[in-house]
Amino acid sequence: MSAPTPILEVRDAVKHFDGLRAVAGASFDVARGSITALIGPNGAGKTTMLDLLSGFARLDAGAIRLANRSIAGMAPHQIARLGLVRTFQLTRVLAGISVLDNMLLAAPRQPGEHIPSLLASPRLARQREARARLAAEELLETFGLRLKAADYAGSLSGGERKLLEIARALMTESSIVLLDEPMAGVSPRLGRSILDRIAILRQERGTTFLFVEHDMDAVMSRADKVVVMAQGRVIATGTPAEIRADSMVVEAYLGGLAGERVP
Amino acid sequence: MSVDFWINVGVLAGIYGIFTLGLQLNAGFTGLLNFGQAGFMAIGAYSVGIFVVSWGLPLWLAFLLAVALAVAAGMLVGISALRLRSHHFAIATIGFAEIVRYTLQNAEFSGGNQGLIGFDDDWRSVNEWALSKLASVELDAYTQLPLLLAIWATFLVLLVTMELLQRTPWARVLRGIREDEDATAALGKNTFSYKLQSLGIAAALAAIAGFFVSLNITYLYPTVFDPTFTFFGYAILVLGGLGSYTGVALGSIIFWVLLEGTRLMETSLSAGQQSSLRFVIVGLSLILLSRLRPQGILGNRNELRAEP
Ligand SMILES: Nc1ncnc2c1ncn2[C@@H]1O[C@H](COP(=O)(O)OP(=O)(O)OP(=O)(O)O)[C@@H](O)[C@H]1O
Ligand SMILES: [Mg+2]
Repeated sequence: MSAPTPILEVRDAVKHFDGLRAVAGASFDVARGSITALIGPNGAGKTTMLDLLSGFARLDAGAIRLANRSIAGMAPHQIARLGLVRTFQLTRVLAGISVLDNMLLAAPRQPGEHIPSLLASPRLARQREARARLAAEELLETFGLRLKAADYAGSLSGGERKLLEIARALMTESSIVLLDEPMAGVSPRLGRSILDRIAILRQERGTTFLFVEHDMDAVMSRADKVVVMAQGRVIATGTPAEIRADSMVVEAYLGGLAGERVP
Repeated sequence: MSVDFWINVGVLAGIYGIFTLGLQLNAGFTGLLNFGQAGFMAIGAYSVGIFVVSWGLPLWLAFLLAVALAVAAGMLVGISALRLRSHHFAIATIGFAEIVRYTLQNAEFSGGNQGLIGFDDDWRSVNEWALSKLASVELDAYTQLPLLLAIWATFLVLLVTMELLQRTPWARVLRGIREDEDATAALGKNTFSYKLQSLGIAAALAAIAGFFVSLNITYLYPTVFDPTFTFFGYAILVLGGLGSYTGVALGSIIFWVLLEGTRLMETSLSAGQQSSLRFVIVGLSLILLSRLRPQGILGNRNELRAEP
């Protein structure tokens, strides 16, 4: 079976912050329908990479292609409309609106968001709203937030905000979802249910996931493929088993963990 | 206490109510600090005057064109300044309102410091007609009553319209922007376009308010549109509460009853001192309110944007 083109292709991406090369010529692919983990030590450039992919930072050099289309110079909302959504390492819930409104704001194809189409077809807007509400409630249920739907998002705890942000990202029905440390600050049980949900969505809808994570159990048990960054470069890619066996990765990042695992 | 005096208070409350609906949309629901609202009001009012006096257009057509022109000005300000972050945008809008005032003060087309007069004949005939109707209920002695009714009818229609608009998915995007523009953009919303729409609608509301100002004072001169009047709007907003259109109506009534009602105080102060005292009283009331009820009378505490 020949491999289909990857949904995301990153080639020699470079991003400077003043003198610092946060991303220093990184290249990797994300296969369509895969769950790919992006790992590496603190400051490796992982979040910066997600910023580049989602349009929140501009490439200084190199190329990024999303579904065979260059996204260089595109604004975040344009990239989002091509079917890429991201969450933020430091959560960004919309504190002054309700949990449900956070979710509904993410609903795709809502004609009520544009005044001309709202006036032209208020019924369609209402129908979409009702359907979005069902989808939102189902997602909130999975993420243990159902009972908080009417609360202001600003009243949620840190972990709950993380969950809401992930649920909101999934609400967009994007074809690729970038998650920046989805497990950080979330209880182990809910962390597992996030991972289960991701696996189900990949199965059912073929959604692609690229997630940054420091929790190696999650990475090794759930990812199909692992991309390892260090000092702005991709130093290795492969299956979890290959990565664990890679001496360079072990040296750069996994050291302690690999030591524990290999008796 | 004369009835005419209170009719005038009602006229001002209605005009500034319309004016502040726009600020509520911008500051309360989009998180946009628009400090140039008086500039849009001036553009609206002066365009009416110029279109009628210099171009000979009928008043109602002039009104529609004035609103369109104010919206165009809003787009121009938006396109040049909306990419700035919040506080810089606020300063840019103050600058805009100052530019408008200086232009009106010095340009020939606006009559300079002499101002404009003689544009409201069409309104006068409507006023005559309305007064003749009011004669049947023996209210025709109050010559400003038709204006009061016209302003409040307009205000209420606009209030209900804004309230309905606020319940749509469109307004949800605005509130998302107010909370976190980047996070909203990450969900695929063209936040710039929404901010532009918000500003354009506010400019239209300011122009409608400006139209009524021109009918009320019958004589347009630049100091009527002093940029500081925008802050009357913000005082009303704070009184009534951020995030509530009904609060705008209530805030505007309270503000003008306080500011004008204090004219009636019997004191031994000089006229200048008394007029300063009136502002002191309004200021103290605002401070008191901010201690007792920081979200304003009808405001929603949860929707108050906490500064990042
Ligand atoms: N906006 C910025 N301005 C200046 N330097 C930045 C900026 N963003 C990131 N950096 C720098 O770029 C480097 C990479 O940061 P990045 O946030 O991408 O790391 P990371 O791999 O996500 O780390 P972590 O695992 O700690 O989240 C760091 O040295 C950081 O200091
Ligand atoms: Mg990071």
